[in-house]
Amino acid sequence: MATTTPPRPGNRPASAATLAELARLNQRLAAKPAARLQVEGLSIGYSTLRGRFHAVEDVSFEVPAETNLGLVGESGCGKSTVVKALMGLQPPNTTVSGRALLDGQDILGLDDHALRDIRWNRISLITQSAMNSLDPVYTIGDQICEAILAHERVGKAVAWARAEEMFALVGLPAGRLYEFPHMFSGGMRQRAVIAMALALNAGLLLADEPTTALDPIMQSQIMTRIRGIHAHMRRSMILVTHDIAVVAETCENTVVMYAGKVAESGPTADVLERPLHPYTMGLQNAFPRLPVPGAARQPLISIPGVVPNLLLPPPGCRFASRCPFATDLCRSAAPPVVRQGAQATACHYTDRAGEFRKAAARPETWRNMRGAA
Amino acid sequence: MTDRPTIAPDATAVIEARDLKTHFQGRTGIFNALAGGKAPVARALDGVDLRIREREIVGLVGESGCGKSTLGMSLVRMYQPTGGQIQYRGDDITKAEGKRLKDYRRQAQIIFQDPYSSLNPRLTIGQVIEEPLIIHGIGTATERRQKVIRAMDLVRIPAADNIDRYPSDLSGGQRQRIAIARALVLEPRFIVADEPVSMLDVSIQASVLELLDELSRDLGLAVLYISHDIATVGYICNHVAVMYLGRIVEEGPAEDVLARPLHPYTQRLMAAIPRMNAAGAPERVELRGDVPTPMAVPPGCRFSSRCPYTTALCEAVEPGLSVQRGGQRVRCHIHDDTAARARPDLTPPRAGHVTEAADAGILAETLDHA
Repeated sequence: MATTTPPRPGNRPASAATLAELARLNQRLAAKPAARLQVEGLSIGYSTLRGRFHAVEDVSFEVPAETNLGLVGESGCGKSTVVKALMGLQPPNTTVSGRALLDGQDILGLDDHALRDIRWNRISLITQSAMNSLDPVYTIGDQICEAILAHERVGKAVAWARAEEMFALVGLPAGRLYEFPHMFSGGMRQRAVIAMALALNAGLLLADEPTTALDPIMQSQIMTRIRGIHAHMRRSMILVTHDIAVVAETCENTVVMYAGKVAESGPTADVLERPLHPYTMGLQNAFPRLPVPGAARQPLISIPGVVPNLLLPPPGCRFASRCPFATDLCRSAAPPVVRQGAQATACHYTDRAGEFRKAAARPETWRNMRGAA
Repeated sequence: MTDRPTIAPDATAVIEARDLKTHFQGRTGIFNALAGGKAPVARALDGVDLRIREREIVGLVGESGCGKSTLGMSLVRMYQPTGGQIQYRGDDITKAEGKRLKDYRRQAQIIFQDPYSSLNPRLTIGQVIEEPLIIHGIGTATERRQKVIRAMDLVRIPAADNIDRYPSDLSGGQRQRIAIARALVLEPRFIVADEPVSMLDVSIQASVLELLDELSRDLGLAVLYISHDIATVGYICNHVAVMYLGRIVEEGPAEDVLARPLHPYTQRLMAAIPRMNAAGAPERVELRGDVPTPMAVPPGCRFSSRCPYTTALCEAVEPGLSVQRGGQRVRCHIHDDTAARARPDLTPPRAGHVTEAADAGILAETLDHA
């Protein structure tokens, strides 16, 4: 950490030299291209006292440059684990295999030194709990400057001026850079973390449930800002969430995860409108919607059962125990990944998806699970 | 879930709040106190009228800090209201103490948001559900066991397999069912469900909502369902009340409030919800600023500091709850000209007319330089 004394006490404007250097810094940052990420066969295992298990197994997806990818699924499905591994933040008892190519370079298993070069500079992260990701004993301004100074050879005054610009971008007054995290409200803290994540204009932004802890008005404000800024700067993003409506509004592509594996992936519109995997269908029907005036309301249907224990994963499809269409085949053999246009799904009965979609919209289908297929 | 049963307008009110206030006393420093300074008062709940009848589910929505939970906890007397009245079946229990309060608490139960911290991890499921019966001195051990099994049946957790397990053996959805069973075992007439599904995964939320819906039908329970998720409210509630800064700003039949919100705040709240299908969604306007603190409530309309239609009248006079067609009630000068006629010197707000004062505020905060 550099000096904690504010570089420009009071509201004295930045000097001409600082502004000129800031302009050069901004130019340099703006020239960074959006990143492309290809994840291939990513598996993440933990060894625990109760045995070894895979929190993530054979996960593959791609984030083309300048696109947003939504990573959705329930608690414990492995979506945050994927994001942590991409930042090299997995705990020590973890084994990671597979590849994650950031603009062609594999970033899994890099040493600390190489990781330091990537974090914030090429990949930045907005965490779910902004309170815990800010250091309580430094001012917000110092924390943003620290990230900038770690990667760019500029003076503190220039870094501070850049931080002021980022604050303006997320709608916070520059004067509040001098404040400590506890002086901010929850929504403001989240905005400060976004400002920090954007400070170096990283090519890939990872947003791990950025609005989950917030109420709907704050959530809408934060997501509007993330979308606006992101579209403007033309970056790539992975948005981790359990809220499929947020994904529908934000992401071109969607990956649906279930119990550590990819259930379905493809363009968001296709995945949400014509889901191929019964889990995606169930998720759709369970999602509460606002009533549409004049239209009959779809019943809200829950998915019976619970997520399997990953210490003893079932031999076949992981969704089989909760799937109304499961057969003996599903319970014994893991399904292959089947492509259909731009969509891909891991289900034995992808060819019957149309029929399943109709049945899945009826509450009885999920209530008496043994009858179907 | 099918449509909610219609509640007859003259159905008995199980619980009724009249001008209910719960203020919290803040602290002041000793020097300030010696200098005659007053400790700040947080007006968390500041004059709320609400009635819940048999078989009725009333949804209570609003942002964090608007007083939703304070209302719920005041109604079951976990907080002592500082003003107004709570009537339980016509009986004033606002200041009930001792045995009367304990009797009331048998009738009024609460379910909390977090099923991971509301169940004692050292007790078995059976013990968790039995505990209220012991506290209230109900039945012999065998009778209590029967009641526990019946409560578990109601929430569809098979007693035979689960009664001796521990909360940690259950999933979040199952735990929330246990919390509901614990509330039901006393056979209450009124239940406050404070964000009962917001910690649960989407795929199981529906089953807990369905359960609340059935319980209110079958047992005739009056339910106050507190949530910041307006979408879930639409599925199970007969009636919806929207709170802002300690007061109800709009209420009415659920379909009406959700389909045709009248208060500018309700409109913003609805527009803020992400949608799967953008067609027909209202335009999303960012609200300026934050909710004011309940320690410094604005003098006029409480929403005036953030409302796009604010005028001088809004900033000076707080609107009353006016009755609209269909029984919807709203606290806004746009829908009630009583105040405007009494104060012709102040400009009244008009629907859809964004005022300059508000506009300047919004512009300063919006980030269109991105």
